[in-house]
Amino acid sequence: MTVAVLNPAAAEPMASPLPGPHAVLTEGLTKRYGREVALEGVNLQAPRGSVYVLAGANGAGKSTLLRTLMNLSAPNAGRTEVLGLDPRRHGARVRAQVGYVPEGVETGYRWMTAGRLLDHLSAYYPSWDQAYAERLSRLLDVRPERRIGRLSKGQSRRLQLVAALAHRPPLLLLDEPTDGLDPVARDEVLGLLSEHLADTGCTILVSTHLVYEVERVAEHLGVLRDGRLVAQAPLDRLHARLRSYRLEAPEGWTAPPDLADRALHRSGPGRELRWTIWGDQPEVTARLAGAGAVVRDVAPLGLDEAVVTLLRHRTSS
Amino acid sequence: MQFAINTADARPIYVQIMDEVRRALVVGTLRAEDPLPSVRQLAADLRLNPNTVAQAYRELERDGVVYVRRGQGTFVAERASASDERQTLARDVAGRALLDAHRHGIGAEELIEAIRRTALPRQTSLKAASE
Repeated sequence: MTVAVLNPAAAEPMASPLPGPHAVLTEGLTKRYGREVALEGVNLQAPRGSVYVLAGANGAGKSTLLRTLMNLSAPNAGRTEVLGLDPRRHGARVRAQVGYVPEGVETGYRWMTAGRLLDHLSAYYPSWDQAYAERLSRLLDVRPERRIGRLSKGQSRRLQLVAALAHRPPLLLLDEPTDGLDPVARDEVLGLLSEHLADTGCTILVSTHLVYEVERVAEHLGVLRDGRLVAQAPLDRLHARLRSYRLEAPEGWTAPPDLADRALHRSGPGRELRWTIWGDQPEVTARLAGAGAVVRDVAPLGLDEAVVTLLRHRTSS
Repeated sequence: MQFAINTADARPIYVQIMDEVRRALVVGTLRAEDPLPSVRQLAADLRLNPNTVAQAYRELERDGVVYVRRGQGTFVAERASASDERQTLARDVAGRALLDAHRHGIGAEELIEAIRRTALPRQTSLKAASE
């Protein structure tokens, strides 16, 4: 089955600014590696106290963006603000207030034990909560006596999560946080994140290519494709604007050209068509009906489906 | 009380939580003055964003289904009568059925007629089985 996405460029932009105050803000953020573009003019806003999911294919620039926020990577152009600070000028202050789970599991300190590393971090972060660190370690089965160099991928990931959460930072930057975790550990981590949110009211910016995992906690979605932020919206707006229309059309029916241009995805065998359209539902429905199609059904897209549609839609950028 | 939340459902999650509370009232698993789980607890149990749970509770409070006792939590309101909730719930179920019928090209009258035809023998057999 095909799907049509009405070209949003003709109607309204799919990437719109999110309301402040922002925990993370980028303006025109651009990063190139030689000729290769990693990020191109990214304007991202993560409102304070919200969960922002950054979706995209592998290599879309998600990790580069998070690294830039931590001042681990210097942009070629643009401005970034993390908790009101410029990470390029206040890198250490930013990092002290952020719980960061980086891409990959290389933690350094391979000779240290997990417990020794956590002790070391507890001295670095004034807000370190020892009781919480112990509880997290217990729930995520992080054994203090284990040497870091000998940890499996999943064990390292769990240690990184304990380290990121235990100082109760106002901002969590999580780069594929469940990467390498088995299903039970993954579920445990999602439960801990819900609890952590309820206790701290922190902001979470989480990058993932498995959006269904974080669908239940997500409040805003940003979609990165080839280094560009092609969509950004609160989930309720996405739910309301991006919809799948099931149409019944007479033989040889052609849609009004401007509507057809706005379709993000079209499909359908025979006389039944399925179009995915970004826009105001009553307006779109009226236009389709006015053009002679019967609208059988209108449904919002699941987050996964929405991301796939937005990633596949090539004409919007 | 068991909450069933499904991200594939067309209803937003906070609406699903509200519907689950209403369902529990109708079925009788929740009664007046019963406490709801805390926002933190329900969020952690269902792996949800606490803001979503809080939104559902706020809307339920606005609808008079629950009330907040300061520092103690959220409780089912006295006036949340099961019969009102029953009607609301029945309307919701009917709305979903109508939508589904429309999707299949079936009109309202046709659907009602089909429900009558389907329900009667079923009720008779259920009754027979319980006797």
